[in-house]
Amino acid sequence: MKIFAFGQIAEITGKSLEIDAADTDQLHQFLMASFKELTDRKFAIAVNKKIISKNVALHQTDEIALMPPYSGG
Amino acid sequence: MEKRNLRYARHYSLKGFGLEAQQKLQNASVLVIGAGGLGCSSLQYLAAAGIGQIGIVDGDTVAISNLQRQILFETSDIGKRKATTAAKKLQNLNPEIIIAAFDQQINTGNAFALISDYDVVLDCTDNFASRYLINDACVLLKKPIVFGAVFQFEGQVAVFNSSKNSANYRNLFPIPPDATEVQDCNEVGVLGVLPGIIGTLQAVETIKLIAGLEGVLSNRLLTLNLLTYETFIVELDAEINAQTEVPINQAAFQLMDYEWLCGNGKSGIINLGVAEFLQQIGQRDTEIVDVRETGEMPKATFKNQNIPFSEFKENLPEIEASHIVLFCQSGKRSLRAAKMLQQKYRSTKEISHLSGGMTALNEYQNG
Repeated sequence: MKIFAFGQIAEITGKSLEIDAADTDQLHQFLMASFKELTDRKFAIAVNKKIISKNVALHQTDEIALMPPYSGG
Repeated sequence: MEKRNLRYARHYSLKGFGLEAQQKLQNASVLVIGAGGLGCSSLQYLAAAGIGQIGIVDGDTVAISNLQRQILFETSDIGKRKATTAAKKLQNLNPEIIIAAFDQQINTGNAFALISDYDVVLDCTDNFASRYLINDACVLLKKPIVFGAVFQFEGQVAVFNSSKNSANYRNLFPIPPDATEVQDCNEVGVLGVLPGIIGTLQAVETIKLIAGLEGVLSNRLLTLNLLTYETFIVELDAEINAQTEVPINQAAFQLMDYEWLCGNGKSGIINLGVAEFLQQIGQRDTEIVDVRETGEMPKATFKNQNIPFSEFKENLPEIEASHIVLFCQSGKRSLRAAKMLQQKYRSTKEISHLSGGMTALNEYQNG
């Protein structure tokens, strides 16, 4: 499935990547294991353009976004 | 016959807007918190559109590096108070509206008094402590927030808390990021026109919300990328991360330490105010270190050692003095540098930094 990253998360992971995961918890674990710099980073996860907070099952065609908060003004 | 004002003729003739919507703008009051890049652009359109009452909150003064994006200010305004200066310019643009300037930084002491007098709040600030503070105050006071934030070439816009069941900033980001986690504009830069566009979108959302137009970004977060012109809208709702930690009432809110919440001072590193910082200069066994990159202005007029923050990342400097006092432009890099030094020296040295950086120092000296 396709993962899109925004802001400073994209600086760590690249703007887009392909990962297969059964659910969002597994995806999160995979990201943390693959990118050490993501440890303690805060970002929201959107699945098919909906922000989620609980674990959600993922399908091959799902589109996932990793969205950090921006502070600039 | 109803009174028409030629100033708003193009609103009257606009299908789906008209006299009725214009009257709603006239009757509305809007508080813009932060007269920086976002505030300067949103304020101009809100004043031009005829919002009846506008409040501007900013405790900062105009610096030369602001002029690249804070388009209400000009070179001759350097050193002047932002809120008052912005109010003067906007009053010239539209003398028919009421504009109030509050030359103060939003904090837990003044937030309720400032916000409760207005219908809509624009979050145009540039730091997380203020963003969480404004969010919580508006949730408690049941005021809608038109949110805007920028990073390099990307911006976020959303409308929070616009009705009983609408999401707020904490539904989106329940845990505040650490100050060291997110770099500021001084460090990573920002395309000057970006806050202009995002601030303009905040003005659009404010007008839509007040006039009752469709398509308000309530329960939605828009991300715009200026390089690709891609927009990305995600949905959110108040059920996500519903166990958020908004204080339960005004008394609890006033006890909150938002600086601490957002990681500014969790570590035992001493945050120095300007007066305390100035007392450190020339003290025995004390090294004052400027962690800004070479050439960043204004130059410090007191004795210091320049160790650019970029060098910290590669290899931590050896500092002999047992008191290390760091400073940078805004206080963010100096805090990060302080944390790095603390890891190296543990408790063998006393490490402090100038909170608010050279910007606060200049304001203090010119204020």
